[in-house]
Amino acid sequence: MLASMTPCAAAADGADAVDAAWILKGIARPVPASTPFVEVRASKLLKAPLRLSGQYVRPDADTLVREVRAPYVETTTLRAGEATIARAGQAPRKFALSRVPELAGFQGNFASLLDGDRAGLERHYTLSAQGSRQRWTLMMVPKDAAQAARLQSIALYGRGSELRCIETRTVGNAPPQRTLLAGAATDAAGVEAAPALEALCHGDATR
Amino acid sequence: MSAPRRLALALLWLVALLILATLVAPRLQLSGDLRKFMPAPQTAAQKLLIDELGEGPGSRLLLVGLAGSDAETLAAQSQSLRERLSTLPSFKLVANGAALGPEAIPPNLRPYRYLLSSRLDTQTLDANYLRAELDARVQDLGSPAAALIEPLLAADPTLETLALAEAWQPANAPQRLHGVWFDKAGREALLAIETHAAGFDPKGQQAAVDSINAAFADISRGTTTRMSLTGPGAFSVEIGNRTAREASMIGTLDSLVFVLLLWVAYRSWKAPLLGGLPLASAGLVGLGAVALAFDGVHGITVAFGFTLIGVVQDYPIHLFSHQRAGVSPWASARALWPTLATGVASTCIAYLTFLVSGVDGLQQLAVFTVVGLATAALATRFLLPALIDPAPRDAADSVWLGRCWERLARWPRLRGGAVLAIALLAAAVAALAPGSFWQNDLGRLTPVPPAALARDAQLRNELGAPDVRYVLVVQQPDVESALRASERLLPSLQQLRADGAISGYDLAARYLPSAVTQQARQARLPDRPALRAALDTAMADGPFQSDAFDEFVADVERAKNAPALLPRDLAGTPLSASVDGMLLQRGGHVTALVALSGLKDPAAIARVASSHGAQLLDLKQASESLVAQYRQRVLWALALASVLLTAAVWFALRSPRRVLRVLAPMALSTLLILALLRAVGVELNLFHLVSLILAAGLGLDYALFFDHAGDDRAEQLRTLHAVIVCSLTTLLVFALLAASSIPVLRAIGSTVALGVVCNFVLALLIVRAPVGGASDVA
Repeated sequence: MLASMTPCAAAADGADAVDAAWILKGIARPVPASTPFVEVRASKLLKAPLRLSGQYVRPDADTLVREVRAPYVETTTLRAGEATIARAGQAPRKFALSRVPELAGFQGNFASLLDGDRAGLERHYTLSAQGSRQRWTLMMVPKDAAQAARLQSIALYGRGSELRCIETRTVGNAPPQRTLLAGAATDAAGVEAAPALEALCHGDATR
Repeated sequence: MSAPRRLALALLWLVALLILATLVAPRLQLSGDLRKFMPAPQTAAQKLLIDELGEGPGSRLLLVGLAGSDAETLAAQSQSLRERLSTLPSFKLVANGAALGPEAIPPNLRPYRYLLSSRLDTQTLDANYLRAELDARVQDLGSPAAALIEPLLAADPTLETLALAEAWQPANAPQRLHGVWFDKAGREALLAIETHAAGFDPKGQQAAVDSINAAFADISRGTTTRMSLTGPGAFSVEIGNRTAREASMIGTLDSLVFVLLLWVAYRSWKAPLLGGLPLASAGLVGLGAVALAFDGVHGITVAFGFTLIGVVQDYPIHLFSHQRAGVSPWASARALWPTLATGVASTCIAYLTFLVSGVDGLQQLAVFTVVGLATAALATRFLLPALIDPAPRDAADSVWLGRCWERLARWPRLRGGAVLAIALLAAAVAALAPGSFWQNDLGRLTPVPPAALARDAQLRNELGAPDVRYVLVVQQPDVESALRASERLLPSLQQLRADGAISGYDLAARYLPSAVTQQARQARLPDRPALRAALDTAMADGPFQSDAFDEFVADVERAKNAPALLPRDLAGTPLSASVDGMLLQRGGHVTALVALSGLKDPAAIARVASSHGAQLLDLKQASESLVAQYRQRVLWALALASVLLTAAVWFALRSPRRVLRVLAPMALSTLLILALLRAVGVELNLFHLVSLILAAGLGLDYALFFDHAGDDRAEQLRTLHAVIVCSLTTLLVFALLAASSIPVLRAIGSTVALGVVCNFVLALLIVRAPVGGASDVA
């Protein structure tokens, strides 16, 4: 893989250069679709960051389901602007996505991503692509003021047609939240150290 | 006096009126406050209706539906509409389902969540509970809700704030999509807007509706969204505007008719101008007098008043018809004066009885009509002669009038027996016709189109909005006892909802418990060491930092030691609108309201309420009883008025026979109008009553003038000419009103138009003396 990357890097500003259209076309997946994820969430209240794993499922075009399998079981359904969180032995809780600017449009974004809907994404974000087809980054900066007040950027990292990591940076100095997807989520099994996970997210680690 | 000079004088008069109008207009504060026009309330329900509510809590509520775009757009528009309107002073509350989040409680009051929430009534803050809650919080931090929850956690690991915000949502609120209320089909975003202005305050409601429309126009620009706005206030605005439009259209037509008729009748374009001056003077001087004597002029005073002074339009007509070459206008006016003065004086005396009615609105009406009638009469007597053409065509020379008169002369004359028989028959029909005699429901006078009503019912049902007709009240000497009494009502309300008698309720105690309840909750809260110990146990070996919840410990300690939260502490918070609107503090007592929605069984609710010291008020019944009371006063005033009027006519004519002859047509006309209206199934309302008074005033004048004409042919012809012109103008004016689509205008129009016909015919049949024959006085 390293071997194949070198010529690509050399030709980065040639035919192999990426743009948002190419990336989005590549990562589009028809419904139903699913992908494993590993998420790491840090909080100043917690002694250590929380590491969750499970899968994202998109059963139909209007719905996104986040199934957490470990360290506990929880299903979150994002649909029609509302998130429903279901846990074993509890009544489901609902809240409006509009109350969480970081999440507002998250489902829509995800759907737009998986539909390859560039126009839909560009309504809410300014897109900029970097890197090569084998290792690209798509930066999404919110246009809406309310969202921009809390959300700095969403960075997508990937390889070819594989979306491997979503990195969300909030305004302020909180550490970024990372969601590793697809191959990166599989690769993350057994990886605990934060720098290693960050490298996995960014595609630095090579195996 | 030369013709140009006369015209100049007329124009001068007109200018004087315009100046008067500019003086009166700023003093004229038209008030739509129905309370001023109603008698003093007596029953508890009436008092509440008039003194405190205006109408029910539901009557201030405007219901908004946004449809026609996709749900996400509608939700965003619902949010912008709420943001826009909540900053305006006309609105007490703008609710669209966006949760009352932690921001509903200002930071210094946040510790009070432990006293306001009922969750800790069944749960203590012990180690087991805290451990379960903290486990759930770890999951929350790993969930998409983390960003929402994390900022709250340090002070509120049990998320009491969110539980409270949830509890404050309406009990049977509509579903939420994209964070705001939507109908069941998910196609229409819903908002409930409470105005500060009462439902009966047309000006306040107009301002509110205008702001909503303006805000909607702004936020919906470039989208296909449509807004529907319903609720009592929106309806009153729409119907008020429709009535005003139709009345002004009819008014314009009427003016044209008046001008044309007078122009044709007197072959002079100046006749309409001169004929209009006394009426305009009467209206303006009357309004000026009311503005001077009272604080604000009631809108209904103006409407009723202008109806009643319609009679003065006849005064100049009599002068025109009697004016002829060879007689100075002053002499004509002088000759007419005794008759005119008798009519005016007796009518004024009759209206004076309204002064003793004890109702502000009726007193205004008395001042307006008495001053107006006197002004018009004096203007006709002392100003108009200077302006009219001294040598017009003599009406007595008209060929067609002569022929008309010949024919009328052959009409039979009604004698006492026949009059009595007709009167008895009419009275029987009026009394015995099926259907109820009086219409007390003021709302029926200004009916809302069925489609709009259906829309309102649909939105009301979707939103679970409170009932407009019924409200539960708890009356107590102070706030604390009112809150305690409301709390005692809560289990019964829950039971009623479970039984399906109501679908929801809202009351101040839902947001702010009584001090006693708050103190009981304080007693149950652990003290600082106990909580710290429980928390330490719960957090042992857990994922949270050991100092993560220090703020929580401090907040609970503050809650435990704080003085109970009182309504005044809420001032300026979003909660105060909910609490103040439901907790009315007036002069030494407090009324707590319980708004009910989806009422199925008022009787069951009334029973439950009274067993808990509360009362179910039927505001519709209260307002109808007020209307009935009001009508009773009018009827008593009228009874007194008819006695005074008879006495005045008697004093002027001094012959029992003439008095009877003059009064018989208007009395019989009144009975005939009543019989006719009742026979076609019309239920009578206040507007019919006022119109009957006008009709009687017209009839009295017709009869007096026929009586005055005596048996001289020329004089009879001139009188006939005058009365034909008078009755034709009045008939046309009111016939147009009778054709209106608006019941109020129809009631006035049909009654007066019938009155004109009956009075004209009966005056001819009863009063007119046979020509040249011996006077009928014998």
